[in-house]
Amino acid sequence: MPLLINQSVVADDKWLRVDVDTLAQHPDAAVIVPFDLFAAEQESLLAGDRPLAVQINGDQDFELVLANLERLSLVVVEFPAFTDGRGFSFARILRRKGFTGEIRATGDVSHDRLEYMTRCGFDAFEIPDERFTAETCSVFGEITVHYQGSADDERPIFRR
Amino acid sequence: MYQYNEQDQNLVNQRVEQYRDQTRRFLAGEIPDDEFRGLRLMNGLYVQRHAPMLRVAVPYGLMNSVQVRKLAHIARTYDKNYAHFTTRTNLQFNWPKLEEVPDILAELAEVQMHAIQTSGNCLRNTTTDHFAGILKDEIEDSRPWCEIIRQWTTLHPEFAYLPRKFKIAVTGSSEDRAASQVHDIGLHLVKNDAGEVGFEVLVGGGLGRTPMIGKVICEFLPKHDLLTYLEAILRVYNLNGRRDNKYKARIKILVDALGIDKFRELVDAEWAEIRGGEMHLTDAEIERIKGFFEPHPYEADAVKGVAALEAKLAEDSDFAAWYERNTREHKIDGYRAVVVSLKPYLKAPGDITDVQLDVVADLADKYNFGEIRSTHDQNLVLAHVQAGDLFALWQVLAEHNLARPNIGTLTDMIVCPGFDFCSLANAHTLNVADQINQKFDDLDYLHDIGDIKLNMSGCINACAHHHVAHIGILGVDRKGEDYYQITLGGSSREDASLGKVIGKAVPQVEVADTLEKVLQVYIEQREEEERFIDTVRRIGLTPFKERVYAPVN
Repeated sequence: MPLLINQSVVADDKWLRVDVDTLAQHPDAAVIVPFDLFAAEQESLLAGDRPLAVQINGDQDFELVLANLERLSLVVVEFPAFTDGRGFSFARILRRKGFTGEIRATGDVSHDRLEYMTRCGFDAFEIPDERFTAETCSVFGEITVHYQGSADDERPIFRR
Repeated sequence: MYQYNEQDQNLVNQRVEQYRDQTRRFLAGEIPDDEFRGLRLMNGLYVQRHAPMLRVAVPYGLMNSVQVRKLAHIARTYDKNYAHFTTRTNLQFNWPKLEEVPDILAELAEVQMHAIQTSGNCLRNTTTDHFAGILKDEIEDSRPWCEIIRQWTTLHPEFAYLPRKFKIAVTGSSEDRAASQVHDIGLHLVKNDAGEVGFEVLVGGGLGRTPMIGKVICEFLPKHDLLTYLEAILRVYNLNGRRDNKYKARIKILVDALGIDKFRELVDAEWAEIRGGEMHLTDAEIERIKGFFEPHPYEADAVKGVAALEAKLAEDSDFAAWYERNTREHKIDGYRAVVVSLKPYLKAPGDITDVQLDVVADLADKYNFGEIRSTHDQNLVLAHVQAGDLFALWQVLAEHNLARPNIGTLTDMIVCPGFDFCSLANAHTLNVADQINQKFDDLDYLHDIGDIKLNMSGCINACAHHHVAHIGILGVDRKGEDYYQITLGGSSREDASLGKVIGKAVPQVEVADTLEKVLQVYIEQREEEERFIDTVRRIGLTPFKERVYAPVN
């Protein structure tokens, strides 16, 4: 599955996805922890000092992620379906809270949403193989006029 | 009216090319059907019963003659020589080819038009009063505010995948011709005790399966806070609106489930984070946009035409009947606003041909500063016609079947296209509209009945707003037969109310006869000068039910 970071394909993902069975096997690795596991094990996870990421979707408790941003280097936002737009607001709020780590979109993520996602604060995208083509990276800049302020530039067009 | 600058033009041009590429990738099999559906809907393209349908945005119902001629050209070149105006004041083409839509969009972009967000689960076209700017009692012209909202909503990156569609309406006077109380957000320009202009904000109105009147979330919103407050509402909705059931996904369901007080708390908490931020409107921006809506250069001596007008009114009763029903006062003496009826005898309400579009454009250039407005009731308005020009204008309109003197009467119906065109519809509507027209074509009778609002929807989605009509008709399917449920007592105006069902649905052939019984009760029971809706409110539904469902001897 191709990973785009800052609009370019990245060959190696330094992050490792773990679940309840594999978490203990990688005590020092940079891990992406599913939200439920993060919620259950937050004390030990937060106490450590290895790079830590949480994967969350719109049904889960975003407040818990927001409360622990200082300890997180990456937040992965899952889009279970392309019609589920909650993740756009998650990214927007993460940036507003001052989160400077990576915000990565995963799930039903493809070409025609990358630009909006970028504007909302995403800087990384996991794109399913069958939805990735050589043209995917050219989507950025299809529309260069932005009326609203957003995470990429908080100023609306009338303040620029 | 608003004129695009270079950036506005770039945006629509780029959007055309983006959509062209999306269409190309879809036809090449690179975008799954489901996903292309989402993308084409956000650009106004449905796939209907017979063909695709393209909905073109008419922001707050305002067009110029160049744009209207372009719409005529598109109807001629890409469609079957006609188009259809909707209750969101947009325009629909019923027969475009999917592959040609990018070319149609490119033609629209040439005249500062587009189809952005005319469908899909996103922020839709903002609507307003079709008499904005000419009303004597107006607090402010609502159109600059609509344009400010239009820019904010256009290609909004965060709110393109909402739980469901989202509609905003703005009014600028004490009268409500925009059905603002049955919108997701209704904005009313108001003045506070200090004389400052701001907005009363309603949220959670809507029609469809679960009709609701909007609730006041903010009694006075200072005008500079408009966009931050809208953004706060939208963010709360985007995060909390239901996504498990499309019939429970509108904001009205969320507001109702939480209660308005709890919903307001959530919005206020979000608003506190962004209120003073970059989206706070500046005086310079408000003034810049208002500058596009300065009054037209009215003739100082227009009032001199009144004498000629009065002479014509005295000698031509057809003209007088039209003048009475289809024109209204303008804040400038010597001017009238003209409603161009798109409700001719036995034609689909809201339809207009390419020839008629060209005629209206020419009339607008000749008599109306080149301006044309579309209305929520599916008519057109030429808002600034000199008294002395009315007779000549009327003659041309009449020649082209655009002057039926029925505005505000029973045959000025809002009707959705129904089963003939729409893939959602359960029942036909256009044949019933014909039936009603045939039954009630007598002008004296119609004018005697007076102001009445009749709306007919072909399914529960209520596109024709039947819940908020004085008389609402809803088509339902009964084992393959079209039946029609009748509601009475609805209103979409400042006195908004939801109509109540009078009883079991009637068969298709009995709709007009049933209406006749309803109207007969009104005629018998009305007090002097009492409108139909007021009689219904005073005497209740029982007398109507008794008459309609009386046993046949």
